[in-house]
Amino acid sequence: MSCSCIWPSNSAPDMDFSLPGLFGALDMAVFLRRDADSFSLHTQPPVWLLLYLHQTGHDNCSLATVFPYLSCFMEDAEQHWQEQRPGLLPSGSWIETDAFGNELALEASALWVDGRAVLLLQNLGKKYIDEVSQLQHLRNGLLEQEKLENEVRRRTLKVKQREEEIAIKLVSLTSYRDEETGTHVKRIGLYAAAMAKAMNWPDQQVDDIRIAAPMHDIGKIGIPDRILLKKGKLTDTEFAIMKRHTEIGAKMLQDSNIPVLRMAAEIALRHHEKWDGSGYPHGIAGEDIPITARITSIVDIYDALVHERVYKKAMSEKEALALMQDMTRSHLDPNLFQLFLEILPVMRRIRQEVNEIDDLLVSY
Amino acid sequence: MIQKKICLLGSFSVGKTSLIRRYVDSLFNDRYLTTVGVKIDKKQLQLNGQEMTLMIWDIAGEDAFTSIRTAYLRGMAGYIIVVDGTRPQSLEVALSIHQMVQESAGDLPVVFALNKADLKHQWQIDEEKLLPLRQQGHAVIETSAKWDQGVNELFLHLAKQFGT
Repeated sequence: MSCSCIWPSNSAPDMDFSLPGLFGALDMAVFLRRDADSFSLHTQPPVWLLLYLHQTGHDNCSLATVFPYLSCFMEDAEQHWQEQRPGLLPSGSWIETDAFGNELALEASALWVDGRAVLLLQNLGKKYIDEVSQLQHLRNGLLEQEKLENEVRRRTLKVKQREEEIAIKLVSLTSYRDEETGTHVKRIGLYAAAMAKAMNWPDQQVDDIRIAAPMHDIGKIGIPDRILLKKGKLTDTEFAIMKRHTEIGAKMLQDSNIPVLRMAAEIALRHHEKWDGSGYPHGIAGEDIPITARITSIVDIYDALVHERVYKKAMSEKEALALMQDMTRSHLDPNLFQLFLEILPVMRRIRQEVNEIDDLLVSY
Repeated sequence: MIQKKICLLGSFSVGKTSLIRRYVDSLFNDRYLTTVGVKIDKKQLQLNGQEMTLMIWDIAGEDAFTSIRTAYLRGMAGYIIVVDGTRPQSLEVALSIHQMVQESAGDLPVVFALNKADLKHQWQIDEEKLLPLRQQGHAVIETSAKWDQGVNELFLHLAKQFGT
């Protein structure tokens, strides 16, 4: 009868193929389950196992007591045996430290053989060391990647803070010429960002509108002082010139590759358009007006109404909201105004904080 | 004697093993050696005049390749979730582990360790991000296994929640 083993007949190594030899080579012990928590050793114990079984003996040992890790495995093993499933159920590896401080990596496996519940206990040895080494290598790579990502994030944040500071400074230039205050433009950005956040916009767009909305009136820099600062009512001609601040602002900001500036251009151009189409510069209506501009209109009007200016007193919030509610018939997007009312406590907090802290830039 | 099983959970390389080494053996090693599987240590402590043994399960950290087996959590009396203050990602992992544990083991005593306080100048986790945890009544303790800062307090804080 020919041999079907993998070794050529004339080159088979001198190896002990008996089962005890095989278990010894695998550094493995075989236990048979006696009852729920008791096992008897069925093979010659490897040396490392003797150190653990010397107190309990080999014939009636509670393995979950000897190896506390197995307490989390026995429930699954029991189910495996009861269902007499074929194949091995591994416990996952764990580390034991022997009395001499040596660490052993062990793994148990449950299996059902010839009507018997069997538990294999193996010293993983080199296999474990190789696994650790491979995982260590992968994790070192992940740590390096995380480090780089964090560095990119940190630098991006720095750039964004600079962008924001530059934007605020630019807007402040126009503020010097009319009656708007620095805190007003900061609040506009924060209110608009709060609206965007409430609508679950992506973080990037929330950041963008916070910077872009305050630039809505930047085109006023191109309006002559005699019109911009005129105390009395503007003539039709003067008003026509005044209205041009929307297009001037858009021209200043457009044609940029920077998304925040493109958004700012859109807001500058459209923030005087009205929901019913009666606004300027193009008289577009409803949702044809970009949402960024519709948001800016609402928050700009709210902030202007509830704060004092040299030419007017502040309205109470109640009066301001009533007036804005009326404006939803013609001027403001009614749905966005509803959202504004829903997050009114957030708006009030911004009002309070930005009044108190004059130089607040957004904290991340 | 009372015996309680506690688990240390968290992303990989946040310092779980180092915190245990410091607490159990008063040792610290700066070198990062990843844990595969589980290692169990014991520590006895006195609480309100009673002896308590903590069975401390050091469970391999989570990453894209490894996730925690819920079987490890069987019989657990409470757990510590470790966050590395220098790695914002480790907080995200911590929060998802916390949710997973609550779903599989219920509401058990938990303490969060904000580890690597010795590298505080490099921390990238804002207090604002921790606010939801504090608002839920969870303790967040700053620790450093290297400097032996907050380590005893961390384990004691958890043990005190077990009562006797």
